[in-house]
Amino acid sequence: MFSSIEELQQKLAECEYITDRNVATVVYLALKLQKPLLVEGPAGVGKTELAKVLAKATKSRLIRLQCYEGLDEAKALYEWNYQKQLLRLHIDQMQNKSWEEAKQDIFTPEFLLTRPLLEALLAEVPVVLLIDEVDKSDEEFESFLLEILSDYQVTIPELGTIKALHIPIVILTSNSFREFGDALKRRCIHLYLDYPTFERELDIIYLKVPGIKQALAQQLVRFVQTIRKQKLKKAPSIAETIDWAQALLTLGISSIDEEIIQSTISILLKYQSDIEKISPKVSSLIPEH
Amino acid sequence: MEEKILEFCRLLRKSGINISFSQVADALKAAAEVGFLQEDFYCALCCTLVKERADKSLFDKLFRLFFLSLQGGTNNPANKENGEESEDAPGDGAELVQSAEGKGMGKGGGASPALLLVKAVREGNYPLLRFLAELALKSLGKITREQLAEMDKTVERAKVAIGWYEGVNRLERIKEMEKISDATYTRWLEHLAYLENRIKELLEEFFVKNFGLEALEEIALSANLKEKEFHRLNQLEIEEIRKRITKLARKLASKYARRYRRAKRGEIDLRRTVRQAMLSGGTPIRLKYRKKVISKPELVLLCDVSGSVAVFSEFMLQLVYTIQNRFRAVRSFLFVDVIDEVTDYFLKQDLEEALHEAFSKAYFSYSGFSDFGKVFTIFANKYLPGVSPKSTVIILGDARNNWRPDEREFLQKIAERVRKVLWFNPQPQSGWDTEDSIMRIYAPYCRQVFECRNLKQLEDVIEAIL
Repeated sequence: MFSSIEELQQKLAECEYITDRNVATVVYLALKLQKPLLVEGPAGVGKTELAKVLAKATKSRLIRLQCYEGLDEAKALYEWNYQKQLLRLHIDQMQNKSWEEAKQDIFTPEFLLTRPLLEALLAEVPVVLLIDEVDKSDEEFESFLLEILSDYQVTIPELGTIKALHIPIVILTSNSFREFGDALKRRCIHLYLDYPTFERELDIIYLKVPGIKQALAQQLVRFVQTIRKQKLKKAPSIAETIDWAQALLTLGISSIDEEIIQSTISILLKYQSDIEKISPKVSSLIPEH
Repeated sequence: MEEKILEFCRLLRKSGINISFSQVADALKAAAEVGFLQEDFYCALCCTLVKERADKSLFDKLFRLFFLSLQGGTNNPANKENGEESEDAPGDGAELVQSAEGKGMGKGGGASPALLLVKAVREGNYPLLRFLAELALKSLGKITREQLAEMDKTVERAKVAIGWYEGVNRLERIKEMEKISDATYTRWLEHLAYLENRIKELLEEFFVKNFGLEALEEIALSANLKEKEFHRLNQLEIEEIRKRITKLARKLASKYARRYRRAKRGEIDLRRTVRQAMLSGGTPIRLKYRKKVISKPELVLLCDVSGSVAVFSEFMLQLVYTIQNRFRAVRSFLFVDVIDEVTDYFLKQDLEEALHEAFSKAYFSYSGFSDFGKVFTIFANKYLPGVSPKSTVIILGDARNNWRPDEREFLQKIAERVRKVLWFNPQPQSGWDTEDSIMRIYAPYCRQVFECRNLKQLEDVIEAIL
């Protein structure tokens, strides 16, 4: 798929995803060892994006499973199409079929409603399977994932064990809302995505907000990096930096000062309490040149 | 190389990082995949062996010491994160000293280390900071193997040698006088932290280079936070343990939920089964089960916050308030030689703020020396009527009474009034009943006395009482 770390990094960059070499190495290893990749890190550093870009770079389909509290096998793996089974039984009855025959008929793949996980296993070509925000799911679901993640197979009582036709690229993301069991972590290659460094974030801004002046970009990225170090309920993510840059560009601003920051700060900070915390301090947080 | 990796894994385990066999296998495969180019090799081991964010810095350190110091490498991938680090040649220091002298900093001319430190920190001059760290190391003179056991002290001595405190003082004055912005000052602090860390790194490298694997193992062992005594923790480690306690609390909370669900249908309720059976002419068709009533204890915490015990008390408060829903009611008190209730501060959401407020606003110290006798007297007289007989009282303290009257009858009074008294002592058991410690006198009034001097023991004890 990728023959070297450089190639992977290059391909990702072509899809407008900038990584450093360390991240590229970890992703490369996950692909090579055919292991699921568990991506952890604060919200908005591009965890989900990584999966999307990988799908794009490998030209494969992205199958996404969004996790939430109460998510169960029926919604993640498969369900029997009850209505269809009922119809079939109805027809069987009219044809005077025996119980044995009828029973044989209704538990076949035809009556299976596949959900994301099963779909990923049954896909004719390799896919990227994104299991998003695993930390939001319940512990039972986490245990249930173990079989899929270690052997790329699932067992359906009525049908038997289904093995993946092609081993999918599996990306799990987490905001560390809840701790995982060791078993899950052991099965994965671990990647911690942090906020980007100053240079990296600057690169991202240049890429995503074309036309921005260098001086402004540097100034605003430095400011964002400074307020990330303050104690906040939610530090601004990369997406918010981009939004802010876009907004400033649209407003035709070429250099930020206290007034401008005060009037646009709600783009960066999403909690009123955070805004109240930062607002009085803005002048001392503006980077000097 | 494979053997080296295995040995390295063994070292990581010593430092308290959990590594399973399958992880080791992955690490070997990953290393074979990317080769032994330093940075990639580091990544390969890191992403397969480290599964907790909290373990990463420890991993970095041991990686550096094991693969670089021990094998005699020079480059340092784990250190590269520091983006500001300029790559120009650090020079041999002498010219840096000269340039500082040349500018004639300070009134006395000549660059004392403290002035160099101020200069390096203000400019964010990394080569100069590194030079200072080396200077600090050199100033220690001959370093013996024994000093490894007193790492923190040795670092402290090295800091003093380069005029650390004088430098910090000057920086603070500069901040005041020149109205330096918060952002800049924060950066200064980062540079200072870098310097301190660098001194420690150099020292560790020195030990490993000179005393070999044995010294490295000692470093690994002493880095094992779970077994480090609370009063030996430095500020960074305290931060780390705080995070781990939050994690521990979450684990305890979820574990509880699981147990409760499983154990819900426990014993058969014979009386209700028989009555139900009446409906079916005496045949018990359906069994009735006794409902498990979870007992939620009422908890009263008495926390000694004198000297070294304060850290432990803080951890305990943090833990208890994070899993508050496991108790019917929690009341907490802080004491040194007087006692004050701090429960109300914890009604706030932000635990850290609450802790800070409790510690700064409560009135718990008159003389600064612990006086358990007086504290028990006050508690028995003032608060005991409000405490229910269902309460569990947990006393956190080292039972060092500074030779004051023990007033044991008041502890007895407390013990008689409540369900049980537990005592957590953060001192090693060998130190009990020596000098002014009077654990023996208080012990008979406690249901149990636990030694609780590191994270591991705290974990065990908490699991036992919940």
